Amino acid sequence: MAFSSTISPKNCRLSSSSSSNFPKSQDPPLKFNKFTLYPSKNPLPIACVLTEKQSMAAEPAVLQRPDAFGRFGKFGGKYVPETLMHALDELETAFKSLATDEAFQKELDGILKDYVGRESPLYFAERLTEHYKRPDGEGPLIYLKREDLNHTGAHKINNAVAQALLAKRLGKKRIIAETGAGQHGVATATVCARFGLECIIYMGAQDMERQALNVFRMKLLGAEVRGVHSGTATLKDATSEAIRDWVTNVETTHYILGSVAGPHPYPMMVREFHAVIGKETRKQALEKWGGKPDVLVACVGGGSNAIGLFHEFVDDKDVRLIGVEAAGFGIDSGKHAATLTMGEVGVLHGAMSYLLQDEDGQIVEPHSISAGLDYPGVGPEHSFLKDLGRAEYYSITDEEALEAFKRLSRLEGIIPALETSHALAYLEKLCPTLPNGTKVVLNCSGRGDKDVQTAIKYLKV
Amino acid sequence: MMACNVNVILQQGKFATSSRKWQSFPPHCYKANIISSIAIGPSRLPQSPSKLVFHEKERPSLSNEKFGIYGGKFVPETLISSLTKLDYEFNSALHDPQFQMELGVALRDYVGRETPLYFAQRLTDHYKNNNRGIGPDIYLKREDLNHGGAHKINNAFAQAMLAKRMDCKNIVAATGAGQHGIATAAACAKLSLDCTIFIGSLDMERQPSNVLLMKHLGAKIKSAKGSFKDAVSEGIRYWVNNLDSTYFLAGAAVGPHPCPTMVREFQSVIGKETRKQAMEKWGGKPDVLVACVGSGSNALGLFHEFIQDQDVRLIGVEAGGTGLDLDKHSATMARGQVGVYHGAMSYLLQDDEGQIIGPHSIGVGLEYPGVSPELSFLKDIGRAEFSTVNDEQTLDAYKRLCKLEGIIPALEASHALAFLDKLCSTLKDGEKVVVNLSGRGDKDAATVFNHLYP
Repeated sequence: MAFSSTISPKNCRLSSSSSSNFPKSQDPPLKFNKFTLYPSKNPLPIACVLTEKQSMAAEPAVLQRPDAFGRFGKFGGKYVPETLMHALDELETAFKSLATDEAFQKELDGILKDYVGRESPLYFAERLTEHYKRPDGEGPLIYLKREDLNHTGAHKINNAVAQALLAKRLGKKRIIAETGAGQHGVATATVCARFGLECIIYMGAQDMERQALNVFRMKLLGAEVRGVHSGTATLKDATSEAIRDWVTNVETTHYILGSVAGPHPYPMMVREFHAVIGKETRKQALEKWGGKPDVLVACVGGGSNAIGLFHEFVDDKDVRLIGVEAAGFGIDSGKHAATLTMGEVGVLHGAMSYLLQDEDGQIVEPHSISAGLDYPGVGPEHSFLKDLGRAEYYSITDEEALEAFKRLSRLEGIIPALETSHALAYLEKLCPTLPNGTKVVLNCSGRGDKDVQTAIKYLKV
Repeated sequence: MMACNVNVILQQGKFATSSRKWQSFPPHCYKANIISSIAIGPSRLPQSPSKLVFHEKERPSLSNEKFGIYGGKFVPETLISSLTKLDYEFNSALHDPQFQMELGVALRDYVGRETPLYFAQRLTDHYKNNNRGIGPDIYLKREDLNHGGAHKINNAFAQAMLAKRMDCKNIVAATGAGQHGIATAAACAKLSLDCTIFIGSLDMERQPSNVLLMKHLGAKIKSAKGSFKDAVSEGIRYWVNNLDSTYFLAGAAVGPHPCPTMVREFQSVIGKETRKQAMEKWGGKPDVLVACVGSGSNALGLFHEFIQDQDVRLIGVEAGGTGLDLDKHSATMARGQVGVYHGAMSYLLQDDEGQIIGPHSIGVGLEYPGVSPELSFLKDIGRAEFSTVNDEQTLDAYKRLCKLEGIIPALEASHALAFLDKLCSTLKDGEKVVVNLSGRGDKDAATVFNHLYP
């Protein structure tokens, strides 16, 4: 049941005042800044022209996700320095060959089963369902996809494990990654320990202070944690630093990107590695009630857990896809991370997508109580699905998320991550609108042990 | 502390298979108001009982409250009828297909069973490399992947279902490290039961993150001055005062019958899955099973399935603390003597006057001066072996598993892992060792941090 979202952002708002940041005489600096496209009256680079033609010809557009250039409509792509093009091509070739490599698939399946603990259950949340029943006893049925039961406590490991295996295939001995709160860093350090690879994690200095325990966990797992002091010393700066490292050491190093952002082939690869979530859900839904889910709900930061759940069902028009972003203190406050609601199109970290930028095209520092959603960009595929109207995106404030955190803990004995709590909070608005017996599957993307300290401060338990 | 008249116990003749003989024990011979800390002085009992013959009929059966001389119901008269009722309900639930089915669904969808039997390649190679390429194959039973992060939930959830079945709306439990508290709080939240958790004041300081988690799950936390054993005593006192409306959810395989049997029965899913998975993976049985022993719930959960298989070695690893000779340890089997504690006869750490010795271990969950009566029995008949490792070895094992396999183990489970240092070089090439990874170690990161950077 796809319908266009009620909030339509200014489509393709191209900033006209970007030239001050980007003198044409200079080579694109290695310091990887975001830039916005020039107004359409100037000739666009070749890649864009081809894509324009393609997107007009390709109906229905969902079939080509992504196309040969790594684009989802106009989003995505490979906005990277020339030095990285070869590495990305090599990665793409390796990834495509693995799709048919049975030995790889078998090894990956074995690891997902015995190491990560898949398949994760599709759990019927009885008390939560009761909570949302209307006075006449009608209401939707709520199922939780338990990614919180995975090893390391989040969905992140699905991708980390597969990429580490891929890196081994490519003969790379050195792994780098960026991390915000530390969850992706811990997942990467975990798989590097498991496969005996050298591991370097870039983390913003500010984040390192806020997440000292996660830093220690990464060190316990044998990783080297490098603090990033440039910019605002948070996730986006850590990502930039990691990309810089990769440019320098591309022959020996594989960059495990944590989300479906970044240059092609990363959004596609990370999506494919997380797609196991959706595949299992289809199978389990069939077993449990002999049908498909009606609504899928997931939180969106970079977008990896959401895409992992949605991807299997994108072509099933009768399945509603709902992504929930972080509205922080409120979308009008300017302190939020609701990229798809309030952002504009630009290029960040190698891909074209919606992002939170100011009039000069500078990145706006996002805010959310949950560090994992605190990202000013979003995966290009989500931008595409939004513009297409295939998926709907809403946002939830810090307060609403904390309420949902408390609610699931008390009703089901499951402490969700604050990121997941955003998706859970959206149920408050969603459930009254759903007919009786609608099957809602919510991606419980992580456990909340890491968030109890934060929650205590705000909730005064 | 009043001591029981032990000669009367020994003169009761053959080891009773029914509870009636113990009922005839004159009640005025022991202090009846609390059931905790009744220790029998060492001078009254032999160091270990004389050799017991392991006859088929003495193999503890489901309703049997005794394991040889161990176990029993050393409780005040007021509790006997509650325990009998509990025993009856427990047996009826076990034979009720509806209960079993609901429990099965909950274990699968809520707890996340079955847990994998994971081949630890790098850990195996580590031991092989230290021994000229010869060494066993090490498998980890991943109880750390359960909801809540430990094996405790297998038992907590099943007992919470049992309490609901018995119409008890209030659950009380005692916890050491907090894992059983979390499991109980989670189960109570899901089943809409009220939950009160007793935890020792010392433990609250050592595992503050677990206390927060319990609060978030809606449990009322009550502090008991001291550590786990004091929390158990307080919990039992609370239960005794509210017998009709309260259910005491035992997390440890200790206490009066039917508690040890119940806990073992609900944890035995671990061993059952292991048998099935071992058959799938290598078409045989494990050769050696290793588990850490505090009270013995995770060890019994793994071992129980294989007790009858004489070709499977059962090894329990206790906490040697800072040293067995310094009396700062929790090695009940190594240094304990037979006595009665918290309602059951078993080995326990007691001094010359029969007072309980406060145990110590870096693994908070292993800090219990007693041990399961069933394990005491298995030790005496030689079916299970017990060993100890100290705090330093445990920390090394913790760090080793992090670096080699990317799994952060609980400090309790790290005791079992540390024992591999002594075990592996004695085993033949390719022998199959299954270690029960009873919990994850995120809760211990702060402790380890403080140890490494004091």
